[in-house]
Amino acid sequence: MKLQHYLGGLEGLDPISLETRIFVEAWEERIFGIHTAMMALSSQLELDATSSTFNTEWTWADLRKGAESMNPFDYFKYRYYEKWLGGISGYFVAKGYIARAELDARTKAFLSSAPAMPRGGDAEVDARVRKYLLIGDDPKRERSAPPRFAAGDTVRVADPNSVDHTRLPGHLRNKVGVIDSVYPDAYAYLCDTGPDGLGKAMPAYCVKFDPEDLWPGNTETNFTFYADLFEAYLEPATAS
Amino acid sequence: MERFEYSRDREAVNAARARALEALLIEKGVITSETVDKIMAIFATEMGPFNGAKLVAKAWVDPAFKTLLAQDTMAAVEQMNFATKGAGAEGEHMKAAINTPEVHNLIICTLCSCYPWPILGLPPYWYKDPSFRARAAREPRKVLGEFGLNIDPTKEIKTWDSSAQIRWFVVPERPEGTEHLGEEQLAALVTPESMMGVAIVKPPSA
Repeated sequence: MKLQHYLGGLEGLDPISLETRIFVEAWEERIFGIHTAMMALSSQLELDATSSTFNTEWTWADLRKGAESMNPFDYFKYRYYEKWLGGISGYFVAKGYIARAELDARTKAFLSSAPAMPRGGDAEVDARVRKYLLIGDDPKRERSAPPRFAAGDTVRVADPNSVDHTRLPGHLRNKVGVIDSVYPDAYAYLCDTGPDGLGKAMPAYCVKFDPEDLWPGNTETNFTFYADLFEAYLEPATAS
Repeated sequence: MERFEYSRDREAVNAARARALEALLIEKGVITSETVDKIMAIFATEMGPFNGAKLVAKAWVDPAFKTLLAQDTMAAVEQMNFATKGAGAEGEHMKAAINTPEVHNLIICTLCSCYPWPILGLPPYWYKDPSFRARAAREPRKVLGEFGLNIDPTKEIKTWDSSAQIRWFVVPERPEGTEHLGEEQLAALVTPESMMGVAIVKPPSA
């Protein structure tokens, strides 16, 4: 069980940060840009090949797996983009693009002076990145079977084992809700999550929950909670 | 408050590590020396909350468009001539939650930071903060109060948790006293926070 999967409803936390900036340190833009370029150049996309030497897969699922595998105290300790910096650096080392010693030495060099950044690269690489941003990576697929549930159906949220990644918010496990709407077609997820159940395209639903069922006697009134859930996470409410 | 101890050179090391990584990736041909700057330029001019503000302003002046935005969000977005058209990374499938006198909507992502990039750009820090994600799910009124927004107890709050592949945003209510304003002037009033549900749009005099 990972705390990162069960954040919804967690008590005892501090007042909300009202920080409205997107980046609070200049370097954060750089790691955000690197991540976005990796997603755009990722090998599974059906975009024109470029001269980029990036030849492996990198999606949100990879970034999320990294964050979900962290020590939960560190997850709270480090700022959002610090987690990205750690995860992305680790990926390039693990995949052999960069040697750990090389990254450490270069970091040291930048700490003690400000070496000029290298220049160059093929414009086609940046063209693919732009194209990816403008069109995205559509997860929608044709349905292979009709959806199991219809609007108005009462459903119970499943409680599958999660291995390294899930899209099921922990506070909804085993809870009963009502299908508010059925999204058209089917949605694929970025990777196979094993016994958790995601991977192949499946219907997705917007499910309505009464917060009083989620946190009895410990929530607010005149409030409704909605969550978008993949079909693998839902069972008929009668099954127990 | 600081609950954790950090090394004194925390930010200097982070900055050096990020520069070192980018330099090595350029040298090894993974990205170019322009890649990151070009990405940031797209978010500064083509994918950002300025698009969402135009959508909201159009919905305020055009009731048919507002209805379309509620019923088929992507069809409405497609009419806007944004660089991303009816698509874009993290916005392939978007849904609008429309505020009314009876309902106030709030978007959250309890698992990570899902956000409709083509129309809102990148999420502010508070939205990514684990405390917001944890607390807004269970006690939205209290959380909104910390943002200085007190929702009348008789008004329903609907919270939308983006855990699948759909990205949500809020269409705030048009403030009173703006009948004389045109679409462009109206768009200038719309803040990112109001399109996430932690603020309302204030009239220009406020």
